[in-house]
Amino acid sequence: MAARIDEFLIGVKPQREWGWLVISYLFLGGAGAGLFLISLYIDHAWAGLLGLLVLVLGTLLLLLDLGRPERFWRAFFRPWSSWISRGCFFITLMVFFGALEIAPRMPGLDFLWDSGGALGSTIRAVAAAAAVLVMIYTGFVLSPSPAIPFWNSALFPAIFFAYSLLAGIDVLILASPLLPGASLDLVSLERLQIYLALACLLLVLSHLSVMSSSAVAARESIRLLTRGKWGLLFLGGVIGAGLVIPLILSWAALGTSQTQAVFAFTVILALLRLFGDYLFRFLVIRVGLYDPLL
Amino acid sequence: MARYGMVIDLNTCIGCNACTMACKAEHATPSGIFWAKVLEKEVGKFPVARRIFLPVLCNHCKNPICQEVCPTGATYKREDGIVLIDYDMCIGCRSCMEACPYGPRSFYEEDGAYYPGAETPFEKMKQDFPEGIVMKCNFCVERVDQGMDPACVVTCVTQCRFFGDLDDPRSEVSRLVAEKKARPLLAEKGLDPSVFYIGG
Repeated sequence: MAARIDEFLIGVKPQREWGWLVISYLFLGGAGAGLFLISLYIDHAWAGLLGLLVLVLGTLLLLLDLGRPERFWRAFFRPWSSWISRGCFFITLMVFFGALEIAPRMPGLDFLWDSGGALGSTIRAVAAAAAVLVMIYTGFVLSPSPAIPFWNSALFPAIFFAYSLLAGIDVLILASPLLPGASLDLVSLERLQIYLALACLLLVLSHLSVMSSSAVAARESIRLLTRGKWGLLFLGGVIGAGLVIPLILSWAALGTSQTQAVFAFTVILALLRLFGDYLFRFLVIRVGLYDPLL
Repeated sequence: MARYGMVIDLNTCIGCNACTMACKAEHATPSGIFWAKVLEKEVGKFPVARRIFLPVLCNHCKNPICQEVCPTGATYKREDGIVLIDYDMCIGCRSCMEACPYGPRSFYEEDGAYYPGAETPFEKMKQDFPEGIVMKCNFCVERVDQGMDPACVVTCVTQCRFFGDLDDPRSEVSRLVAEKKARPLLAEKGLDPSVFYIGG
């Protein structure tokens, strides 16, 4: 293992510890929890199952990122101080209660309990709360960091919540032709995406605005995102392709009365927004910089 | 109870890296991993340019954020203020590395021998770190427990490092902090570090 030259220099330094496995978890974990939450809203058990599977896939990637994955169970030991530890509980709760929520609505399992009864409603409420916590806790993993000023923002839980819901609905839109059960009202989902994309845009721009007057390392992160090496990906990919273009197209498409045209657009828009979401999480991690020591 | 700490006089540090090597010799840290090192920076412009040096190590903070974010409890603080890592509990999530603003921690990913397959007897004897864990300066706890100073302190050729009990007002480190107005790095982060610097 070779040491890097900049390890021995005084100055702003990039974080290098968390890479694509963590980034992919942030994306898949958020999208899975978002999809599960929206499945409760539209009452679609198969969509909920897909959401759980996406979350589990993301969690497996996170396990692979550990230096000692066989010791993962130790991460449950400190929920009173560590957000990673709390996250382990949230994921476990969501998978467990999510599976219980879906089970009686699966073919052949309706004898278990009445999903509309008191027990079913309680399970549903716990699963929904756990899904929300899975969507936001990753923001709390980043935001208390005194080391990386760009992450040190109370907005991250809100940004991740909005992006997770956006991504969850996009996965649902893409998977809709393959999902058994009742057909989905894609027009309503697309209308919801307009508001979510708008919320993401406002939150991300607010974060950049706050950070532009923050510590040296945060200002350097902003420079990298707007004028530096990641400028094209951030402005073109996250803001342009991921949010603004889908917003404009979606607005225009929903203004027409041709549902067929809306559906054709929706798939493209979902792909664009998912691309923007992954890119956003990638860039947030990559532009994490430590303040200089002197 | 004692609170061990260190004072480093930047006015006398010459950037020789003897501390870096003493630490390597004491702990046989793997290739590419430095628990103590000397950072440098060029300041000014020719013909009045010069290099400044900043010896760094774990700050053994009174409020260690690394301990707070650790999901397993692998990072812990002794009663004497020394912050340590239990390698048997570390899962290698590196959240401590992301949270610590001082950058003293390293992730030991794989075989750390300088010449893999041809380890020296010294490496074979001392390099027993498990792979996939995070490691850092331990204030030479094995020496401190025997009443000795850390290896970087005793090896410093300009005697710019001082080690002792910050809670004891009669100790040299307490006197230096008070009289020389020694201050920690990034005090605004609120972690209350136990490593102080004079000058710079």
